[in-house]
Amino acid sequence: MKKNLFQSIVMALLAVFAVNVASAQQPHVYINPGHGGYDSDDRNMVIYPFHQGDSAGSWESKSNLRKGLALQDILQKKGYKTSISRVTNTTSDDLALSTIVALCNQSGADVFYSIHSNATGTSSRVNFPMVFYRGYTGSPQIPNADVLAADLEPYLYANQTTVWTGNFQIWGDWSFQPSWGTQGYGVLRGNYAVANLSEGSFHDYIPEAYRLLGLQYCWLEGWNISLGADKYFNRLDNYNLGVISGNVRDDRIKRLQENPQPFLVFGDDNLMPIHNATVRLLDQSGNEVQRTMTDTLRNGIYTFKFVAPGTYTVEVSEPSHFSQTATVTVKANASTYQNFYLKRVRDTAPVVVDYSPVWQDGDPAVKCSVPIVLSFNWDMDSATTCGAFQLDPPVEGTFKWEDSYYRLVFTPVDAFDVNTHYTLTLKKTAEHGGGTPMAEDFTMQFYTQPRNHLEELAVFPYEGAPVHFKTPLVELRVDSLLETYNLFQRLRVLDSEGTELAWNKRSIKYNKRGDDYGFVRIPLVGNLEVGQDYRLVLDVDIADTADIHLPAERVINFTAVDAGADKPGMQVVEGFEKKEYYLNCGHAGSATQRPSVELSFVNDRLFGNASMQIDYDFKAYDPNYYFFLSYNPDWGLEDDQWEKPFYPGQTLGLHVCGDMSYTKMTAEFRTNGDWVKIPICTVDFHGWRYVTADLSSLPETGGKLRHIYFERTSSIMGQTGTIKLDNLLRGEASGIDELGFAGVKVHAEGDYVVVSADTWVQGVELIDVNGRTVKAAGGNCLNVADVTRGVYFVRVHINGRTATQKVKL
Amino acid sequence: MKKKMSIIMMLALVALLPTALAQEVEVTSLTRLLEGVEGPAYFPVLNSAGDRLLFSTENGALKLYDFTDNVTTVVTRDYVAGNDACFGGDGKVYFVTQQTGEDRLIYRTGQCYDAATAAVTRLTEPHHGTVKAVATTRGGGMKAPGADRSWASITGNGAWTEGNRVHVTVDGKERVFSPVDSWAGYLWASLSPDGQRVAFFAAGKGIVVIDLRGQVVAMLGNYEMPCWYNNDYIVAQHATDDGHQFTSSQLMLLKADGTWSRELSKPASMMMHPTCGGGKIVCTTIDGLLYELHINIYQ
Repeated sequence: MKKNLFQSIVMALLAVFAVNVASAQQPHVYINPGHGGYDSDDRNMVIYPFHQGDSAGSWESKSNLRKGLALQDILQKKGYKTSISRVTNTTSDDLALSTIVALCNQSGADVFYSIHSNATGTSSRVNFPMVFYRGYTGSPQIPNADVLAADLEPYLYANQTTVWTGNFQIWGDWSFQPSWGTQGYGVLRGNYAVANLSEGSFHDYIPEAYRLLGLQYCWLEGWNISLGADKYFNRLDNYNLGVISGNVRDDRIKRLQENPQPFLVFGDDNLMPIHNATVRLLDQSGNEVQRTMTDTLRNGIYTFKFVAPGTYTVEVSEPSHFSQTATVTVKANASTYQNFYLKRVRDTAPVVVDYSPVWQDGDPAVKCSVPIVLSFNWDMDSATTCGAFQLDPPVEGTFKWEDSYYRLVFTPVDAFDVNTHYTLTLKKTAEHGGGTPMAEDFTMQFYTQPRNHLEELAVFPYEGAPVHFKTPLVELRVDSLLETYNLFQRLRVLDSEGTELAWNKRSIKYNKRGDDYGFVRIPLVGNLEVGQDYRLVLDVDIADTADIHLPAERVINFTAVDAGADKPGMQVVEGFEKKEYYLNCGHAGSATQRPSVELSFVNDRLFGNASMQIDYDFKAYDPNYYFFLSYNPDWGLEDDQWEKPFYPGQTLGLHVCGDMSYTKMTAEFRTNGDWVKIPICTVDFHGWRYVTADLSSLPETGGKLRHIYFERTSSIMGQTGTIKLDNLLRGEASGIDELGFAGVKVHAEGDYVVVSADTWVQGVELIDVNGRTVKAAGGNCLNVADVTRGVYFVRVHINGRTATQKVKL
Repeated sequence: MKKKMSIIMMLALVALLPTALAQEVEVTSLTRLLEGVEGPAYFPVLNSAGDRLLFSTENGALKLYDFTDNVTTVVTRDYVAGNDACFGGDGKVYFVTQQTGEDRLIYRTGQCYDAATAAVTRLTEPHHGTVKAVATTRGGGMKAPGADRSWASITGNGAWTEGNRVHVTVDGKERVFSPVDSWAGYLWASLSPDGQRVAFFAAGKGIVVIDLRGQVVAMLGNYEMPCWYNNDYIVAQHATDDGHQFTSSQLMLLKADGTWSRELSKPASMMMHPTCGGGKIVCTTIDGLLYELHINIYQ
């Protein structure tokens, strides 16, 4: 008895001694599961079926803890000493960063792992592991922290139960967050263990958020971190059990998009994970070693833990799929991955169960834009089904599968032809995903409507248009009402560098039901740069409410100008500030019908204190409607400029703020007993523009300006509108316009501007976009080698007249 | 530029406090220490007289600043030596250095610096695991918690933590208390100037004040790093974070009986790691700027 007691005491002392000796040699790992609790800083990912704030849902604090507890358990099994900063997930567990660091330092740990998952903080989605240590990348503050990271990351990245979108990354936190200076991550600051902060994956990648809900997936990350610790401490040979894990998915059925908003998926995450599949681990004699089930968290993940090294068979079975097996080899202290892609059991031949368009003789014709949709009883094989699709007459189009290959959508590249009878035959060679063909051919027919494209009625800016630079308006008009959803995204204004300019979406105007034509009118947020070239791009998929789209993409070039620039040599005839005018409204064929017109003076101006605003309503699409402004000296409004006649060779210039109404503006002069009307412009533009009238048709004796006419055209556009007028000018020379003489050509490819014409060219002027003459020369040739490159106007003098053309040097 | 702005902002915030806290506590002066002389400085520790200051550099070297002659001395350039260094009651500096062995384990060594002779004495051999410098009223020493090892005799009165235990030594006699539950553990124990109470931090609970029998006198709230300003008041850190980085940090003045607390700086001041001695308070900031504060308490 005494002897036994003595032996017991000796054994106990030896045991204590052995423990102490072992303890002295044990690597000590401090584990910090990041965050804590279910609070606002605990990274709740809202995924179906969980609601915001639901503690049963996906929280970084929760998955971090699961990983940390798994790591603690595994490391202890492997003979490590561990400390952990929390074992529950409550707000009080969410220790301050300084506290975590101090606890780690006090513990005497050799290494420290702070376990997290990541988020982009943006709408982009990625998934890869990252690890950080304190210091600059390649220069850790604590020696070996970079080695610890390099030993860890390959094990995390080797995980094949997830889908990575890029390689792993290792950073010094000072390099990764340079704007923080040397502040760095809080749990690495002042931490004297060899410390890493591991962002194992990205939890805002939705499939990863589901995976992080899974205990087995979190356990696997804990296991993989333990392998990193083993590598660091050169202890990989100290443990003799391994792990098998994998993912079980359908081989072709797409995963459901159950979240309220569609989410991005990459690679195998496109495939449907299979729930509740039975996974058995069999030894080489066929004996079951372990059995598990795939999770029901939209992951299909299975894991066999602590498996002895050797060769095994993994068998997966699930009632709606054919079973599969795979042979795997387990190595000591290593992860073995085996994913499965199960084929679904399909026990009948495929048939078309629904289709559109449904049409038969006597039915209204089908829209030319409508897609052909075929729905099947099984998920179909894409190659054989698309190959069996025969349309007569043939139409080039694209196939798109929906509902995991249950629904096929054929969309013509452009549109179906008008007034055409089409027959679709789906040959019986079409097979479902299991390889069984259809029992018989399927046919359908339809007849198309007489319209297959959206017709552009008008657009501003149009090709080559000079556009006043201040927050210009863009407008597209088409022959039917536009589908307005996100329409602004299908029109783009680009500068010469290809940079897209921003729309002022608050001021966007769309067509509405009852309008006579479709339109969209949007101002740009900012100003254009005078003299620069721009492009308006109209996407081909601009469509009406019947999904009839434009026939092709349109690219329209235009140039920014300053309509209010100085016009040298021009005199102001009328400033349209506050003068009284006679306003006459009429109808060429009716004495009783009149448009309604109101005049006012407003602040939107180019010169002086105001411009004249004319609000009109022609009341009908009738080109006989008109109104005009009159000046009559008999009213006592004496003004020398108005009383001076205009002569041929002179220019009448006018600043007009247009409304794209296609109203015709005409100047009427009183000559020797006659009236002469000379066109000023058609208002086919928005914003301010300087327009000029060619007065060559005036008699040599000249004529006094008496009326400015505004006449309705036959267009369905411009029944009502607003036009503004500012300075009306008279000059010996032309203002900048685009009116030229027949036969005059300007060449500006090299160091010279050369003008060719049918007659003698008296001189050439180079004028900048502000109307200032930069350089001039007699004859037809002007050396511009020393002129800054850019947009200019060339004014050509021929026989006492001038013509102007825009050039780009 | 950014740093300059943050200093200006911080000074503005602190400067507001005398008005805001009138009749209770007033920050009478705020002085930047060692400006233009030292780079970033962390983990400041004042001696009880408040005339000497230990701090750690960016690289973890330990330095000693003497307020009386305005001289800074390098105690050691061994990295991490500045962590939890302390002044013993004998005026010496007790600190721990660490080295990584070929087995990648970390071995820590207790050392002592005597400013009078500028000599460093190794107190312990390299040891795998915790080695903790402990200050007492008469001297200091090294503790290796959990391994039942103590290399230097601990005399006088002192307090230190290990796991979820606080050790209190009175006249060389040590008692161990666990007065509140704390899974993660206790930190930052310190004895009041009169030697009658111990303040420490319990993770998940905050600052706890106990008497020498281990009885809880007061729970002061979820603050960190308590240091005794005098027998009645404690200065502490109050920091918040988003799980990765600090989002605020300020100094708090807490009455040791738990009845009263006031801000000494605003949350955006990013002031942290307070230390008290000789009626002054020294702290650092997130970017390693040392500040000395003086306060008046009107209670």
